[in-house]
Order: sequence, then C-alpha cells, then structure tokens
Amino acid sequence: MIKNIWRRLVTGQRAEFLSARDLLQRAVAISGLFLLVHLAGFREFTGILNGTIGSLVLGWNLSAFLAVIYILVYLAFVILVPVLVLAAMILTVWQRCIPKEEDSRVPPDTSSRRSDANG
Amino acid sequence: MKARIKRILAGLTALTVATIVWLPCLHFIFIRPAAEFRRDEGISPVARALAARHLQLWTEPVLREQELNKMRVSNAEWDFMGRSYLVWSLANMALRDPASKPLYLQTMDRIIDETLRLEQQEGMYFFLMPYAKERHYLVQPAHSLFLDGEIALMLAARRVVEEKPEYKPLLTERVNAIVGRFQKSLRRLLESYPDECWMFDHCVALDAIKMADYLDGSDHSALIHDWLAMARQKLEDPKSGLLISSFTEDGTPLDGPEGSSIWMVTHSLQLLDEDFARDQYQRARKELGEITLGFGYAHEWPQSSKGTADIDSGPIIPGFEISAGSSGMAFIGASTFDDGKFLASLDATLDFAAFPSRTHGRLKYCASNQVGDAALLYAATLGPLWQKVKNGARP
Repeated sequence: MIKNIWRRLVTGQRAEFLSARDLLQRAVAISGLFLLVHLAGFREFTGILNGTIGSLVLGWNLSAFLAVIYILVYLAFVILVPVLVLAAMILTVWQRCIPKEEDSRVPPDTSSRRSDANG
Repeated sequence: MKARIKRILAGLTALTVATIVWLPCLHFIFIRPAAEFRRDEGISPVARALAARHLQLWTEPVLREQELNKMRVSNAEWDFMGRSYLVWSLANMALRDPASKPLYLQTMDRIIDETLRLEQQEGMYFFLMPYAKERHYLVQPAHSLFLDGEIALMLAARRVVEEKPEYKPLLTERVNAIVGRFQKSLRRLLESYPDECWMFDHCVALDAIKMADYLDGSDHSALIHDWLAMARQKLEDPKSGLLISSFTEDGTPLDGPEGSSIWMVTHSLQLLDEDFARDQYQRARKELGEITLGFGYAHEWPQSSKGTADIDSGPIIPGFEISAGSSGMAFIGASTFDDGKFLASLDATLDFAAFPSRTHGRLKYCASNQVGDAALLYAATLGPLWQKVKNGARP
C-alpha cells in the first residue's frame, strides 16, 4: 500500500482530498517550497523579527515581505509537514484495519445496486 | 457523498491526532544540553562559534560596516551596545581560555580604541537615538550615563583581564566624572537621554565603579550601598516588586519593569548585592519568563503593568506575548543564576525561531543582529569576570 502511495505521489496523480496520499503530496509540496526559499537565502531577511532591516539595498518593505514568506514557509515545514506525514501514517494504518471490519458488516455492493434499480 | 464525508472526517481526525502528538514533541528536535550553550569552565561550542563570527566582523571592515549600518538604520545605540557586549564577552572568554587571551585582548583593544575615537570625533550623539537632540539635558554639560557607564565597564573589564597602563587614566577619569555627578545630584539619578534615566545604565555604571575600586584600590562602597537602598525604596514597582526601567531625573517613573532591561539589571546587581540580585531574578522569572511546550521565552511586561512595544522590546508576537528583546536578554539572567531548565528551553527557542546560520565554524542568528548575537555570546560566557572581582584579590 505504501509503495502504491509513493508511486502515485511521484507520478503527480491528483489525490482525493484529505486522503493519505493527499496529505503526503501537501507535505512534499511544502518541503519543496521550503527548500526553494531556503536556498534562495530568504533566511537572511528574518532580522526583521527584532526590528533590523534585512537588506539596505532592498529596503524595509521588500525585506519584510521576504522575511514573512520565509517565516511562514519555515513554520509550515517544521510544524505542518510532520503533522501531515503523521496523519497520513495514521490514515494508512486505519484504512488497513477498518475496511476489513466494514467488509464483514456491510452487505455486498450488488444489493445496493439492486435497491437503486428498484428505487 | 457519504464516503466522501467519511473520508474527510477520517482525514480531519488523523490531522487532529497527529497535531496532538507532534506539538509536544517538537522541542525535542531543538533542545540540547545547557552545556552546549554555557559551561562552568572553558568555552561552550555555541560561544566559540558565535565569537568566531564576531572576530570575523572585527577583522573584515567591509562586513562589519555592512552589519553595523543595518543596525544603525533602526537604532544607533545597538552599534554601541554590540561593542560593549562583545568586549565584556571577550574579557570572560580570555579568563576562561588563557591560550586565546592575546587574540581576545587585541580585539578588545581595537573595539575600545575605535569606540573612544568615534565618541571624541563625532560626539556622544553618534551612539544615541535622534531624540536625544530634541531637548536639552537638565544637567550641563551634557553627559549620557548610558555611554559613560558602558565605556567605563569596557575599560575596566579589559584591565581586569590584563593591565593596560594607557587605559588606567581613561577609566579613572570616566569613573570620577560619574561619581562626581552622582554626588552633585540631589536624588542620585543621572540622565542617559534628556530628563530620562535608565535602571540598566545605573547598574552598569555602578558595576564599573565597583571594578575600578577593585583595580585601583578606591572605595565607593558607601555610594553603591546608598544607591541600592534608594532604588529599593523609590524605584521598585509596587505590584511586582521589580525595579522599574526608566524614570525622570527627579525619580518620576517613565516605564515600569521591562524584560528588555530587567534581565541585565539582575546580572549587574549580582556584582553589587547578590541577594537583591537573586530576588529580582526570581521575580522576573515568575512575572516574565515562560516555558510552553518545551520552548522558553519572555514577556516584556508583567501582567500587572502593560506597556507599548518599542525599539527595546522588539515586535511583540501576539497570543503568547513573546518579546524578542526580553527573550534574548533572558539568556543573561538565566545564565547568571544557573537556571538550567529555563536556559535550555530558551536555547531550544533560539534554535527553533532565531534561524541559526552556521558557516565555517561561525554562527550567527539571522533573526537577531550583531548586538543580539553579542548579548547571547555574553550570556554564554559570563561568570569569570564578576567572580574575579568578587573574590577581591587585587590584580
């Protein structure tokens, strides 16, 4: 199942909202974004947190804008990414256990089709 | 449709559970033993890396100018205080690591000489915020205790590590001038800005006087004793029992207790009156210090007396009311009083939210600046200088 998720993840197929694959795709997207802003050197502008300009060349407004972007993406990376990965793991485990129980309780699909036809 | 709702509910439940699991664990990524930040003996890895960055700034003029200019756009005081904290840190480091003393002394001398040159060349306003020029100092000729106290303490710290005859008259002259003004002042309160006096500056100046006594055999213990008695009586906030930050020349309070000031005040007081210092630290820790989910931080004001954010407090992060200025200075208080739990939690926050940048063994915090990093370096190295003076054996 995990292999399956990973294969779909890397091939970029669109996942169902809030499915395990969807959560992992979001985690990968945030990580990629963080890598991008980190390598672009946005970290240098975070001096704005103590009232120091990030760059005399870029000025206050642009420095503050870049700092806010970095801080938000960083917080998403260290807080949200692990939460998304953990949630995906929980869902995966859940889906492995629950469907078996549901399969044993829920009548076969054919019965519902028959009732739809009757209705 | 039912399956879709079921999937969304399952997803939301998983996200909630994951959040509940992750948030209390987050600090484990950033927490490290307090000895990584500060050690009783020797120099900690953090201190060594921070110092390497500062030593680089003082050997590469272009880099230094770039850093100082960035700070001076906001506050010229930071340029000056960054020098003071670095000199005081290097003095402690020289006492901790005698093998590196020549390098540290050389840098201290360079900083002191350049600071004195700038003060003489550009005048005292060069290191003050522009509003210093908007009014006249009540006591003429104008002096700023902020500058005089910190310069005196720089000179004294250098001489405690190793005597430098050229600095002896400079220290004596500066200390005598401060003492003379204290004696002339009816309430023993001296201005840093026009009709604006600061607790921080008074305590630092009294430290310098105490160190001059240690170095040169003078005795100003009565002045120090009387000043502290007056401060206890007139400059304490009645609700929190903390010393207030600023007041006018006649003793009228301006700002109440502030985190950006009180943590350093507790450290300065340690040299003057250990019990009073510890009492103030414990009050500050109770009123201002917080640890949430393993991360330490500090408020700028006690609950009982809120103020407004300014250049000292830095931006206040709403909700948790975190002050960058107070949280940074809290390192100095926690280090001074060996509050290992608070120090380790502050250090975790530093690594989490101050964006450390390590290159070639040099460390800086991107969310900080040169003065912030110098204050952190001071917190990581403080101890031996005070100890040597308190032990009392003349050099």
